[in-house]
Parts: sequence; C-alpha cells; structure tokens
Amino acid sequence: MAVTAGHREATRRAVEPASSSQRLKESAFKATMLLSTLVGLLFLTVLLVDVGRDGLPLVGADFITSFPSRISPETSGVRSALQGTLLLIVVTAAFIVPVGIATAIYLEEYADTERWWNRIIELNIQNLAAVPSIVYGILGLAWIVRGPLSLGRVLLAGALTLGLLVLPVVIVVAREAIRAVPSSIRDGSLALGATQWQTIWKQVLPGALPGIATGVILALSRAIGETAPLILVGAVAFYRFDSDGLLSSFSALPIQILEAVTDSDPAFRDLAAAAIIVLLVILLLMNSVAIFLRNRYEQKW
Amino acid sequence: MAPGREALRGRFREELRTLETQTLGALDMVVNTLDRALEALAHQDVELASIVIADDDRIDGRFLEVHQGILSLLALQSPVASDLRVVAALLHVIKHAERMGDQCVNVAKLIPLSGHEPPRDKRLVEMIEEMGRLARSEVQQAKQAFALRDVALAEDLVRQDERINRLNRDAFKLAVQIGTDEDTREWAMHMMLVARALERLGDNAVDVGEQVAFVVTGLFREFSDASHP
Amino acid sequence: MSKRMTEPTPARRSASTNESFAREAADVTTLSTAVADRPDHETIFDVEDVSVFYGDKRAVRNVRIRLAQNEITALIGPSGCGKSTFIRCLNRMNDLIPSAKVTGSIGYHGQDLYGSDVDPVQVRKRIGMVFQKPNPFPKSIYDNIAFGPRVLGLKGDMDEIVESALRRGALWDEVKDRLKTNAFGMSGGQQQRLCIARSLATSPDVLLMDEPCSALDPISTGRIEDLMMELKQDYSIVIVTHNMQQAARVSDMTAFFTVELDGDSGHRTGAVVEYDKTDKVFQNPSDKRTEDYVTGKVG
Repeated sequence: MAVTAGHREATRRAVEPASSSQRLKESAFKATMLLSTLVGLLFLTVLLVDVGRDGLPLVGADFITSFPSRISPETSGVRSALQGTLLLIVVTAAFIVPVGIATAIYLEEYADTERWWNRIIELNIQNLAAVPSIVYGILGLAWIVRGPLSLGRVLLAGALTLGLLVLPVVIVVAREAIRAVPSSIRDGSLALGATQWQTIWKQVLPGALPGIATGVILALSRAIGETAPLILVGAVAFYRFDSDGLLSSFSALPIQILEAVTDSDPAFRDLAAAAIIVLLVILLLMNSVAIFLRNRYEQKW
Repeated sequence: MAPGREALRGRFREELRTLETQTLGALDMVVNTLDRALEALAHQDVELASIVIADDDRIDGRFLEVHQGILSLLALQSPVASDLRVVAALLHVIKHAERMGDQCVNVAKLIPLSGHEPPRDKRLVEMIEEMGRLARSEVQQAKQAFALRDVALAEDLVRQDERINRLNRDAFKLAVQIGTDEDTREWAMHMMLVARALERLGDNAVDVGEQVAFVVTGLFREFSDASHP
Repeated sequence: MSKRMTEPTPARRSASTNESFAREAADVTTLSTAVADRPDHETIFDVEDVSVFYGDKRAVRNVRIRLAQNEITALIGPSGCGKSTFIRCLNRMNDLIPSAKVTGSIGYHGQDLYGSDVDPVQVRKRIGMVFQKPNPFPKSIYDNIAFGPRVLGLKGDMDEIVESALRRGALWDEVKDRLKTNAFGMSGGQQQRLCIARSLATSPDVLLMDEPCSALDPISTGRIEDLMMELKQDYSIVIVTHNMQQAARVSDMTAFFTVELDGDSGHRTGAVVEYDKTDKVFQNPSDKRTEDYVTGKVG
C-alpha cells in the first residue's frame, strides 16, 4: 500500500479492477440462471427416465405392428394409433400449407392496412393462436363432424380440426418469413418488369420457404400432440383395423396413451409409456428435420 | 473487359493529355512566330511583319482554349496531387506562351518603323540575330523539358538565358556608342527595343522551366532571381 | 395497378396556395432556355409540369425538363428534395406506392408514359433501374441475369443473353467461370455491376440509377463511373447522386433540385431550380441557389 501521496499517485491505475462486491453479484447472477436451467432439465430428465424405464423394454417391431387390445397387454400394440398419427400429419399439412401460405401472402403483399377489414383480420389471427385447443375441438365437433360439413367422426375431420388449431401459428410464421424478405428484392424484381404475382412466386416465396417450412413442421409437431380436440372429434382408442382412408374412423397416439394411462392394470400403464416413447421419437424426428432445414437453407439477407 | 486500375477515369486522363498537348503546341506556335519575326527583321519585310502581328490572334485563341479547358477540368474532375500540379503548371505555361507571342509581336511592330533602308551596324545586327537564335533554342528546350518532365534540362535553360542577358547588355553598350551618330541613333534605339523583347522572351522560357521543376518536385523556386544579377 | 394522371381537386386549394402557384408558374419559365437548348439530341423524356403527391402532401413540384438520348443526366440536390421520388416516376415505380399520385405528363419517345394503353410492366422492361444498395437475388449469377428475360418471356438463347449482358456490364471476365455460384458471394462493387448487367439483360434503352455508388468504396465507384461512360453510347442514363463530384465527373447535363419549406405547414417540397450543361452548372451556375449548393455553402 502506498504511504506517501507521491507514491499513491504512481500506483493509481488507468483502469480500475472490479470491486469484490461487483464480482460477487456477477457470480450470484450467473449461478441463479444456471440453477433455473438445471431445474427445467431435471424435470425433463426425470420424465424421460421414468417413461424409458417402464416403456423401453416394450418398444419393438411387434409393438409397432400390433393392434391394441383391451384384454391382453402382451399382444397390444400401437399400429392403428401410429397410422392415425402419421396420416394426421400428412393430411393436416396438406391443409395448413396452402391455406396458411396463401393467407400470409394476402396479408403481407396485397392487403391495404388502411382498410378496416384487414385490420380486423390481423387482430384476430393473433387472438386465435391463443384459443384453448378444446374450443377447437368443440368447433370441429359442431361444424365439421356434424353441422355444415357433416363428415362424421373421420380422419379428415380430425385433420381439419387440428389444422384450424395450428393455422394461426402457421400464418404468423409464414408472415414473418415473408416479411424477412427485404423490399429491395421486391423492388429489384419489379424494376425488371416482373408483375407482382411473378415477384411473389419467384422471389418472395422461394426466399421465405426455409422459414415457412420450419414453422410448418413445428406447428405440425404441436398439432399431433394435442389430445382434447381429437377426443371431441371422435378419435377411437381401440381401433383394430388398418386405416381405411380419409373418411374412415381413426385412432391416434395421444388418444391411445390417454386410454392406457388411466387403466387400472399396471401392465397397460407400461404400454402407455411405450406409446409415449413412440410419440416422442416422432416428435424428435420432426423437430430434427426442422432444425436441419433451418440450418441448411436459412437465407441470410 | 473490366477497366484496370490504370484505365480508371479514362475521360479525365484524355482531357488532361489534350490540354498538355495544346499547351506545348502553343510553344511550337511561338517558335514559328519567332522565326518569322526574325526573318522579317533580317529582310526588313514589312508584309511578313504584319502577318506576324495578325497571327498572334492564333496564340491568343489557344490561350483562351487552354484556359477554359483548365477551368472545366478543375470544376468537373477535381484533380489532386500530381494531376493538380500539372494543371496549375499548364495554366502558367500557357500564360507564358501568350506573353512570348506578344514579345514576337513587339519585334514585328518595330520593323516598319526602322524605315526601308536604315543605316545598319553589322555588329549590332549580328548580336540581335544571335539573341534570336538563343531565344528560339530556349523555347524549344523549355517545351522538351516539360514534355519529358526533365528538371535538369529545365535548369540548363538558365545557362542559355545568361548568354541572352549578356548579349542584351553588350548590345546596349554598343548602341550607346553608335548612337552618337545622328543617322544611326534612331535605328539603334529600335534595335534595343528588339533586344529587350528577345530578352524578355528568354525569361519567359526560363519561367516555363521553373514550372517543370514544380510539377516534378512539388516545390516552386526561381531558377535565377532577377534581383540578384 | 395502372396509375392515371389526375389533377389535384381545385376545391382543396386555398387563396394562399393559389398565390404560391402563380409564383411557381413564374419560376418555371426561367428553365425554358435550358429545356429548349439541345436541338441536335433526340428527346427521350419530355417531362412537362410533373408533380408527385403522397396523399395530399406534395413531394416534388412542377418539374419541366427534357432528357435527351445517349446522355448522362445527373439529378443533384440536398436530401429530401425529391430527386429519388422524381426518378421513380420515369419507370412508374411510384405506381407501387398506394398513396402516390403523379400529375403532369411524361412523354417517352413521344408517347404518354402514363397513358391508359400503357402497360407498366413493359415500361420497366424498356426503362431499367439500379438501386442504392446492390440487391442481387439469392440465386446464382446466371439466374440473376436470366430472371428479367425469363419473366418477360424473351425469346432467344439464354446463355447468349446472359453472356451479352455480363459483357456489357463489364463483369464477364471476372465471373465467366463461376456463373452458377451464388451472387451473394461477390463483393459489393461486383454485386452492383451485376445489378447493372441484370437491368441490361432486358435490352432497355434507358437506365435509371438511384445513388448507385453511395454504398461502394472509391475504386468500385470509379469502375462503375467508367462503365457508365461506356454505356452512354448505347443507352441513356439518369443518375441521382448526392456526390457532386460524381455528377461533375460523369454527367452531360445536371438538374439541381432545391427544397422549399412551406412556412405554414412546415412541409418540404422539391423543385428543379436549374437544368443545364454540367460544365455550366459547375463553373458558372445561373441561379444563386445552385451556386450555394455546389460550393457547399448550403447543404
């Protein structure tokens, strides 16, 4: 420590080090953030371990190819439910992709935001994304299964209902992706003599596609995990037939899981765990594809 | 064919080249005019003298052309560094060329005044003719020095100019001598004016040389200061 | 979305506006000498009393100039003076802004550019535009150049069209071996030359350039200026620039836009104050406002 004033002058530094209380606060903050992360990871790990322990031994080729049984858990499988879920993915996608993208294109490229009806549409899309899934289930029951469309309790009805559920999300994501395409690209295209439609089809959409694809896949992975709408639309828990097309009865993994998990027989509860694993694998695959697409094709402007 | 670094600003380079060619061309015009003035003087050719006087318009015209071209180049092309020095030098050189043209006119104007059959002193005539040859050589050397950016050649102009200056002084002494004779006095005085014009012409050529040094070195200095004989 | 020429409704004009319109009419006549001056050059744009409104705010007023063929015309002036707004009238890009309205008339080779029988798409085929920030498409160099011809349905060997455009844009030698690589991999100067070549691929006869070099380094700027001098032989060029030295270096004619501040509303309107040979504008401008601007007294 400096003794004389002159010596103190000499040891005064240009840049002072951090005080010990500052460093303590920094460390405490970092530790709190880490702890919060670990809590989330902890619960997830517990779930996975629990499910894995019960279900992993049961997952196998037989499990996937056998129909569910009410009587014998040993021969019960997820064949119909798996088919149903996979078909739901495809049909829902076929619905939400064109409708969602077209809506997003209209709102971003054509709609005049001064008009009141466009402003109402904008407002409502945000609200629709927040509506509980069971309400969509009721909508599906009233209008698609019964009412105007009267399709009955069929796969198509389930796909449409799930589609309506995630459509707001797809629209929002697609709008973001379209909006991310800079206006300089549009200007450049139009200045060369392209029409607005040519510009959208050949420049804006291709540029927005990676973002849209990622969003669609994430929306689909949310859709197939939903149980409440499927219950109301009439997905069947024990469906012992291969799928007969869009207009036949259907099952789905969440429904079968729900049914098995509430059974009194513990053997069936283990089957639920196995079905959960199958569902998780599907979701994992979908999300991996989404991440792969995003990393590989993402457009940096 | 992508323009390389050297080819950048092609229009500017071309315009600058043209200006230099025009300016140095003016020095050629001066040499021509001087030749004819000296010939007119040697043969007392009044008609040739009046042609010389009229033709000075061409040098004046060239001056205006170059002057306008320089203003245009400065306004439109923003030359810097050596380009800027060249442009500034050209402005000086064309001015000197115009002055040299005027000196030739001064010589030509004196010819009819000396009468058709003036009494002539052979020695004075020879001095004047020598001065004329030296002046001519100076102008050509100045032009070459500028074209080649040769500072040594430019500095050499001082040596030649020294000879003109000496001849001018000698001619003055001689003129004073023969001026005691009434008949030759008037003619001798006219010859002094001719000598003076030639000496001034030489000085202008030296000034052109100074511009060569300025372009090359970026420094302006007088080769020989008139205040220090 | 074709835009028709409309008159601002007289009912909206107040007495004071009528006064200022009268003043404007007087101002406009001082330009008549420059407009009439070049009888030897064929007219390409005949701009007659053009104003541009955004909503009811007037951004540019009473532009009256004649642009001639195979010339480079520079539009200079302080920011907010409407030069970009004006140049976008020449290829009807202002049509794309819903609130924009163009009054007056623009003759292109004698035809009314905003006539009801004129297709804006065809206008933009013949009048190309290059923007301030290079905007190549995220495609290959080849596809960038081919985009215009393809959407316009131009017939011909696409390889030839692409090569020809790249040669005219002084880019062929640098990219001929990597036509299929993504355009985003090029440097800024190359990208801008790509955008120029892209516009040339539709065989226009006019090239509009809105501050094409302001995002580029001096060497790239120099190369593009040299390119413009080459292109001048086959095309007519109009360039908006805030770089006065650039306008002085490359252009044959210069139009100076000034900003007029409306005392009551605080609204800014641009107007052409002087339009003359570039040599004259930079050596001996007729209007004091031009002089103040080019000498840097007024920004």
